[in-house]
Parts: sequence; C-alpha cells; structure tokens
Amino acid sequence: MSDAEVLSEQSGNKIAKLPLAAALLALVGLCDAIYLTIHHYTYVPVPCGEGFDCGAVLTSPYATIGEIPLAVFGAAAYFVAFSLTILAAFGNRLMWKFFGVQAALMAVFSIYLIYVQAFYIHAFCQYCLLSAATSITLFIIALVSRFWRS
Amino acid sequence: MSNGKSNNNNLPLVIIGLVLVVALAGGWWFYNKSKKPTTGVANNSRPVNTATKPVQTPIVSNVLGAQPPNLLGSPNALVTVEEFADFQCPTCGAKHPLMKEIISTYGSRIKFIFRNFPLQIPAHDKAYDAAVAAEAAGLQGSNKFWEMQNLLFTNQATWTANPDYRKVWEDYAGKIGLDVEKFKNDMAGLNAKARVDADLARGRALNVSSTPSIYVNGVIVQFEQMNIDAMRQIIDAELAKSQGNSQNPKSSSAPTNAAPAEPKNK
Repeated sequence: MSDAEVLSEQSGNKIAKLPLAAALLALVGLCDAIYLTIHHYTYVPVPCGEGFDCGAVLTSPYATIGEIPLAVFGAAAYFVAFSLTILAAFGNRLMWKFFGVQAALMAVFSIYLIYVQAFYIHAFCQYCLLSAATSITLFIIALVSRFWRS
Repeated sequence: MSNGKSNNNNLPLVIIGLVLVVALAGGWWFYNKSKKPTTGVANNSRPVNTATKPVQTPIVSNVLGAQPPNLLGSPNALVTVEEFADFQCPTCGAKHPLMKEIISTYGSRIKFIFRNFPLQIPAHDKAYDAAVAAEAAGLQGSNKFWEMQNLLFTNQATWTANPDYRKVWEDYAGKIGLDVEKFKNDMAGLNAKARVDADLARGRALNVSSTPSIYVNGVIVQFEQMNIDAMRQIIDAELAKSQGNSQNPKSSSAPTNAAPAEPKNK
C-alpha cells in the first residue's frame, strides 16, 4: 500500500485508516508526555512498577535539556504528529510525508533514550518505554504505508 | 453542497484545535490536582516509601551522624536546619542556592547541618564517592568541606557526565588549595568514608527516603515548602518559639553537638 493508496480512501469521504491509527497512537504518546511533564513540575513521584526505577530515570541529567524536561519536547512532538496524521487522514498527502520524516526522527531519538536508560542510567522507566514504543510504532506505521502493498 | 465541503475541510483543524484545548485544560487541571501535597515524600528524586511521613511531628533519633557534623551558623543556636543531600541528585543541586541563601540570611541564629545521604541506586553511581570527596576535603579544614560541597553542587552536571570524574574532583581540590595528594589518600582512606556512613546511618534512622530532605528542629520541610518564603516562615516561627522558650532554663541548655533534629519543645 503506497502513500497514495493509504490516503485514497479519502475519496468518497472516508477517513484513511493508517493515519487515523497513527493519530490515536500519537494521542497515547501525548497523554504519556503530559503526565510526565506534570510529574516533573509538581515533584509528585510517579507510581512505578516492579523492576523499574522511574525516579532514577526521570531525575537523571538525561531527563532534561537545560531546565526543560524532555517530556515537554515529547508532548510537543506528539501533538505535531497528531496534527499531521489528522490532516493526512483527511487526505493531505504532503502532511503524511512530513509525518514519515518526523516519525523516523522520533524513533531514532527513542532508541537513543532506551540506550541511555540501559547503559548510562542502568534503570528503566515504564512511561519512557511506553513513549519509545509509541514512537517506534508510529514509525512502523509510516513505513508500512510506504512499502506494504496490498 | 460547497458549504458541506468547506465544513469537511475544516474538520481536521477543528479536531486538532479540540485536542490542543483538551490537552492544555486537562494538563492544567491535573497539574493543580497533583500539586496539592498528599504525601510526606520530600521530592521526586526517589519515589519510594510514599506512605505518609509525619508532617508536623518532630522526628528524633539517637543516631547522631558524623561527629562533629558539617555545621555552619552557631552550634549553640536553638534552631537547627538539617539537610540530607546527595551530590548526584539534580534537585539537591537545584536547591543548593536556596540553602546558601538560608545560611547567609540567618547566620548565627541557626545551626545549619549538612548530612551526606548518597542514594545507593545505579543512577547515582558517583554519589557516595562524591560525598567521600567532600568529607576528604573537610579533613583539611571544615571550610574546605564547604568549598568542595559548593563546587560539587554547582558543577554537578560537569562531573556527573565525566567518566574521569575523580580527576575532576582532584582539580577542584587543587583549586580550593587542598594538598591534592592528601586529598587522594583521604578519599581512599577510612576516615572520610566513616563520616559518610555515619550520616547515612542517621538518615536511615530518620527514615529519609528521598533527597533533599530538610528538617527544621526535627520537623520535615515538605518539598512544596522548599523555597525562600516558606523556609523563612518556618525558621522565623521556630526562632520566635525558641525566644519564648529561652527564658525556660530547660530549653536553653542544648549541648553543642547534640543531635540536631532533637526537638527542643517537647
């Protein structure tokens, strides 16, 4: 299924399914990032599952750029991704191309953050892993739309 | 017909706008909801033991910590501010200017005690050594402890990111006029470590589970109160109380190196 095919359902007033799925996934990432942003600014500890160490990850020097937590950038990125995918779902093919580029960048950065958690912080945070999973899945959706032909 | 098409064209923008509004409003609501203090946990650096901690009850421990403690102000002051901190904890670094302001504001009217409480977690792998470095500096003069403590906090981002962090500390040692060879020996020796361990033991006895944890006359300061206005209110109230009690012979006989968190108003 090519870009054109993904978005072809738009003709006849249907909403394209892959961009819509990506939009819903971007919303999940947005909620996650907002949650972590609020956690950062309120200093309220996040509930953390067995085997995770959210405090270690979220208060590490890698969790902020200057004074700004990465979660803020994450929230902005997911909102942009949501906007692009919604526009694509309604037929804007250019936005779907932009989304593909953004999803690739987000996936690469997410992999870097997983690497940092594994090899520098030696601890994982479930919310960060959820965000990474979301970003990588968004990229997979973008890839699928490009290469998968039905 | 054209009206219907134009509505359809606007629909994605309406959805995007709606999500933006919901995200901002929801975020704001959740922020306000979360901001209300619900637990006694001092900050976000260690989300452990979130069960309620006594908020207003002075906490007492017979475990004294390093003796003599790292102390600024007057050892005879009736108001004790005791901070448990970790040199690798970003929040401790962020609160360092606040503690300096408190010390300079109150001077000899308070007894400020710094306790090492390096969190023993992988993310703080240099914290214990950093505490030992500060104590090793202190072995060459108590003012050297404070100079090293200040350097460690103000340059936290630099040395935490440096794999050769010990070399960085040696540079700091040279910068503050320490005998660097003695500093290196003291870092490897037992005296500095024993002081850190003693502070850790005191922190554990007080159930410190997060850093920074600050006590004013044994009463924990909530994280939300770790700002200059709230801290001044707390300390001023304690000073006012202590002035009232200073006429009471029982409370005016606090020994110099007494457990700092010991409540004087029982």
